[in-house]
Amino acid sequence: MITLWGRANSVNVMKVLWLLDELALPFSRIDAGGAFGRTRDPDYAAMNPNATVPTLVMPNGYSLWESNSILRYLCRTQPGGNAFYPEAPETRADVERWMDWQLGSLSDPMRVLFWTFVRTPEPERDMAAVAQALPQAGRLWGMLEAQLASRDYPAGAFSIADMTLGGFLHRWFSLPIERPEMPRLRAWYERLLERPAYRKHVAVPMS
Amino acid sequence: MLRLWGRTSSSNVMKVLWLCEELSIPYERIDAGGAFGRTNEPFYLAMNPNGRVPTIEDDGFSLWESNAILRYLANSRAPSHAIYPTAPKARADVERWMDWQLASLNGPMTTVFFTYVRTPEPERDYAAAARARDEAEALWRMVEARLAQRDYLCGDTLTLADIALSPYLHRWFALPIQRAGLAKLAAWYDRMREHHAGFRTHVAVALS
Repeated sequence: MITLWGRANSVNVMKVLWLLDELALPFSRIDAGGAFGRTRDPDYAAMNPNATVPTLVMPNGYSLWESNSILRYLCRTQPGGNAFYPEAPETRADVERWMDWQLGSLSDPMRVLFWTFVRTPEPERDMAAVAQALPQAGRLWGMLEAQLASRDYPAGAFSIADMTLGGFLHRWFSLPIERPEMPRLRAWYERLLERPAYRKHVAVPMS
Repeated sequence: MLRLWGRTSSSNVMKVLWLCEELSIPYERIDAGGAFGRTNEPFYLAMNPNGRVPTIEDDGFSLWESNAILRYLANSRAPSHAIYPTAPKARADVERWMDWQLASLNGPMTTVFFTYVRTPEPERDYAAAARARDEAEALWRMVEARLAQRDYLCGDTLTLADIALSPYLHRWFALPIQRAGLAKLAAWYDRMREHHAGFRTHVAVALS
């Protein structure tokens, strides 16, 4: 069976849980990261020298880390995976562009917002950092609001780009922040909420 | 012909330039970003709403995000080339290090680079640069361990992963900072300089 290492409340673990569920792949999950520790233990470091979660271990022992790369690998190798990862170079690049954008642009300001409101006690919160991150995140979500004018999902059809972004999208709409009105972004969020796997693994209470 | 938007001093533009040279892809390049501006003009934002460089235009298809561009060019121009292996595990290995560059290496390396190269001396935050240098060194140690059994990041030959990391590698060795003696890392740097004209021409250049 597939083993997934990583605590369920990690936004990067959520991506993989969502895909495993969409593909109906049996797996077991082992808590690691955050309060669970383990990621600096020698046996974990041998699988993942970056000491992050998630790490995927396939039934034959092959292991892989970096959540977006795990999504691509599973789509490439598991039955049904190509439905979420189109093959033509242009459509594939469209999917991957949003995945890379999540890694390189979206995750930083969203991490500041999430950590401040969810993982930092109120007296210790750096509200100046929030004041900087909030408009940055708003600008980035505004890009998707524009993108969604002509499509139901960021890359056209539902894909692993949605699985990469969905955790951050849920946080954006759940955090106690002031959000600019983005009706298409909201409609996309509601569209994702129709998927049981999203509700089960991603759109859950923040912790 | 492929059109590439972006100034040559951008690490993300460098990646694309090197790949084009490595795969002999003809292209024309137009300066944009930094002092050249253009990235916030309506025509540019229509191609790339993120307002960054690089952006490519390829026969009506426009694409931004440098690592996605590398994969697209390999997929569309050289689908069976070893630079982007097709076997799932080998490909995942390449993609993992590309993602790691974006998510882990980029942050601290950008702080160090901007401090020493793009910030006037009186305005430099040396404490932030020192913290970032320590972080970056820990990350380069991961690569050092990795290179114990390999000539390139993902095996015996050059892949997109080497290209994605290469501008940061050059900066690591070119910046006026303290560096731990990482022999494999230095050998990898020398190997790319010796064997890849695209690296010498587009990446291992004076910092600006």
